[in-house]
Amino acid sequence: MNLIIENLPLLWIGLKATLSLALVTLLASSAIGVVLGSLATLKPKPLRVAVALYVETFRDIPLIVTIFTIFFGAPFVGVPLEPFPAVALGLSLWGGANASEIVRAGITSVPAGQTEAARALGLHTAKIYLLILWPQATRAVLPAYTGLLALLFQSTSLGALVGVTEFLKAGGLIIERSTVMLGVNPSFQIYGVVLAVYFVISSGLSLLSRWLERRLAKGGTRAVVAAPDAASL
Amino acid sequence: MEFDLAYLVRWLPALLRGLSLTVQASALAVLFSIVIGLVGASIRVAKVPVLSHIIAAYVELIRNTPILVQLFFIFFGLPTLGLTLSLFASGVLCLTLWAGAFQIENVRGGLAAIAPGLKEAARALGLTQAQYLRLVGLPLAIRVGLPSMLNTCVSVIKNSAYLSAIGIQELTGVAFDRIASDFRAFEMLAVLLVGYLSVVLSLSFAVRLLEHRLQAPFRR
Repeated sequence: MNLIIENLPLLWIGLKATLSLALVTLLASSAIGVVLGSLATLKPKPLRVAVALYVETFRDIPLIVTIFTIFFGAPFVGVPLEPFPAVALGLSLWGGANASEIVRAGITSVPAGQTEAARALGLHTAKIYLLILWPQATRAVLPAYTGLLALLFQSTSLGALVGVTEFLKAGGLIIERSTVMLGVNPSFQIYGVVLAVYFVISSGLSLLSRWLERRLAKGGTRAVVAAPDAASL
Repeated sequence: MEFDLAYLVRWLPALLRGLSLTVQASALAVLFSIVIGLVGASIRVAKVPVLSHIIAAYVELIRNTPILVQLFFIFFGLPTLGLTLSLFASGVLCLTLWAGAFQIENVRGGLAAIAPGLKEAARALGLTQAQYLRLVGLPLAIRVGLPSMLNTCVSVIKNSAYLSAIGIQELTGVAFDRIASDFRAFEMLAVLLVGYLSVVLSLSFAVRLLEHRLQAPFRR
């Protein structure tokens, strides 16, 4: 217990890195998701195939392989990356793939009559997306999106493997220090605390996701179920 | 840098050994996790006091924590309590616990999809809860839940790549060890890409085929 109190500043540094990594990747994933997910609902087939190819690739390759490839592969193509941006890029590409699926499902969940009515009123495609489809899709995807955030948050722990001092790495540093300086190995306690903190934050997000789903159901909106299962890691 | 086929051939035996470890760890984890899934879901559905709550907590814990932290907790944390497992056993244990939680949810979803009339009929025939699960519930639940159960199995293969983080020389571990010591990237990255994509895609395709087949009786 003392060990944890003494090391609170280090844990806090780690938690801050974890949270900012999650936030950055959420924003980047959203940008990718909105663009690609919308493109996938347009007519031209090559467009849909290209998006599907991107989505499948990043969902099927283990996330750890994607991140290692970016971090260790970047110097070989002449653009060495720092750990933080490398992890952020890898997580965003993976998150973007999942977000695209969510956005696509959200847009398809809007009844076709809405688009037809908008077209009959003379709106062009860009305006239909901006005024009709996106606003309604946003409601439907909120639960799935919160689920994605929980997964991104969990996946930031991969940063520990390439040298980002995020929460898991901070825990590892405390263990190393204590083992070397005090001769006691507190792995069980420290990793236990790390587990507990991840659990509290992530289950908070899961509860939020379920609550949003219930609320939307009450308002008559069918939530999109394309929530990325943790099993898609 | 050029793509050097001879280099790849030289390290092929090591890569195959890695792949074999990946397959072994995944296969064991899949097997054990399905057992956990069937037993756990039965306990949850039968509402066995205390046990049912412990299983619910276990599922929530696994779903809401990163698998990497679970792995570190098992591999570095448990030995300090005097519970020392081999490298491989730690890896399999981690994958099993992770997949087990998801399999419980998959089987439970299958059980929930069974028409209530069947359960009532089983009760009317005098079947006990255990008999109902064994003879009626689980066989049907497996049929309904099979696609999602198999998806979890595919995820086990993907997640086995995490085992390289504690130094298990499975496919990912072998490949990145070579990249680090030989300063060549393309060959090994190509192997990983092709390796995982082909395994995962072919399995996903098989799942889709199966899903189609299982739907057959309900199609018009």
